[in-house]
Amino acid sequence: MFLQTQGITKEFGKLRAVNQVSLDIRKGDIHAIIGPNGAGKSTYFNLITGYHQATSGKVLFKGEEITHLPAYRRCKHGITRSFQITSIFPKFTVYESVLMGLLSHRGVTLSFFSASKKFFKEEVYRILEDVGLADQADTLGDSISHGDKKRLELGITLGTEPELLLLDEPTCGMSPEETESTMIFIRKLVEEKGLTILFTEHDMSVVFGIAKRISVLHQGTLIADGKPDEVRANDEVQKIYLGGTA
Amino acid sequence: MVIQKMEQNESMVKRGWWLILLLAGAIIAPHVISDFYLVILIEALIMSLFALSFNLLFGYMGQLSFGQAAFYGLGGYTVAMLITKVNFNFWLSLLAGVGVAGFVGLIVGFFCVRLRGIYFAVLTLAFGQLLFVIIYKWHDFTGGDDGIQGVFPPGILKIPIVYYYFVLLVFIASAFILWRIVNSPFGHTLKAMRENPERTEFLGIHIARYQLITFVIAAAFAGLAGALWVPFYRSVAPFYLMWIKSGEPVMAAILGGASTFFGPVLGMFIMTFIHAYILGFTHFWPIIMGTIILIIIFALPGGILEFAKVKLKERQERMKSAKGSP
Repeated sequence: MFLQTQGITKEFGKLRAVNQVSLDIRKGDIHAIIGPNGAGKSTYFNLITGYHQATSGKVLFKGEEITHLPAYRRCKHGITRSFQITSIFPKFTVYESVLMGLLSHRGVTLSFFSASKKFFKEEVYRILEDVGLADQADTLGDSISHGDKKRLELGITLGTEPELLLLDEPTCGMSPEETESTMIFIRKLVEEKGLTILFTEHDMSVVFGIAKRISVLHQGTLIADGKPDEVRANDEVQKIYLGGTA
Repeated sequence: MVIQKMEQNESMVKRGWWLILLLAGAIIAPHVISDFYLVILIEALIMSLFALSFNLLFGYMGQLSFGQAAFYGLGGYTVAMLITKVNFNFWLSLLAGVGVAGFVGLIVGFFCVRLRGIYFAVLTLAFGQLLFVIIYKWHDFTGGDDGIQGVFPPGILKIPIVYYYFVLLVFIASAFILWRIVNSPFGHTLKAMRENPERTEFLGIHIARYQLITFVIAAAFAGLAGALWVPFYRSVAPFYLMWIKSGEPVMAAILGGASTFFGPVLGMFIMTFIHAYILGFTHFWPIIMGTIILIIIFALPGGILEFAKVKLKERQERMKSAKGSP
């Protein structure tokens, strides 16, 4: 199994944000985690990426237990994430931002005397071409548009050449055109580079548009898991999440 | 290929012309200024090295250290004690000063890098004051508030102008090393940590480890600065470790521009020379310095060099757009 959570639970004081979630994420899937606000999606994400430590339960990645590894070590294992509130380097150029991921992943960040400019030029431009930011390579991160920032963060994470990419609301705040191109790009990542994507999203058209598998969280508990059609047809999901309109 | 290389060299000369000019000025300077100002010039150079070490933490790593003087003082005390107490070799004493400062930096840094922002600043301040008090109170070992006198450099280094060239050489070598560090992949990681520690950590960087390495490098260079100053001044005193001394590189960085490599050097030169000049007719130096800092903060936010850089860029862009439109 590629990524597996076994009965994972996270408590904040008396609040049980994630409750006994056991889930398998298969290699090469585009897997969506959905649920109403406060369902525990972000917390579940944080348990996988190491932002939070689980109260109980296990996280296994490629058969290896990573439950208690710090975030930076999980990244070295091939798990990278984006954040719900776009997290970039405001005073770095677009080029420098993407370079950071590559420097880290290729293990040269303890090189003290060679010029960082000389590293991985081709690779950075390849990623910039992929996310459509090559023409803004020299622009500062905080002076590009919101949608471009989202794509820049995606580019930064791709620098670490991840096997599993977790995207927290990847199209949040994007225009319909930007959303469309991001969806196409995510699909391309999976098809061409063999990445596995786990994402949360509010926009149901995005979820049902690209996800191959959907898991539904409600009040921290996993209530449904399956192919989009199965989840759509699930009574409980209809009742509490889709509003029972179907 | 050859043409490309020549063009590259040409642009390097173009960009580096002011460095060459400065170097020429630094070589000629001791022959045209008075003996008094030669002493001030040496002090400015050494304090600039101190400020550069500080700015590695402040400007590049994004953490304000308010205890940097502890390492400056430790470098100085190591040299003073080795030379006066055991008649140790001068050059090895300098190295020992760097080593002791770096080693203590490792211990202090171990605790400080766990914190960020104001907590980092306060903890460095606390450690700095702790080291100050130890040296101040431990009379039998350190000479306490008397300090240590009679710290002489060997041979011709006793001649101020020779010592000046020696300091200049060490300064250039140190600045070069620090310049290479901040532009290396390691330096890039430092800046990324300053810009967004969370994002950097989630790219696989162990933040505390990189902060600790930086802390040790900064402590070692501060120690080198202290180790250079004490044999020139012939003495050392506990106040070199005090928080007031730690404040000097902070002000220099703010004055000159913490986001530029040479900003703290410019700031330190301005501070040192104005200080020397003003002390000639008034003791109210802090009032004047305070006023200058106020003016800089309000009129040139980001410091002098940062302001100049922005203006220069604006001018270049205006010229470019003027050229572009017929």
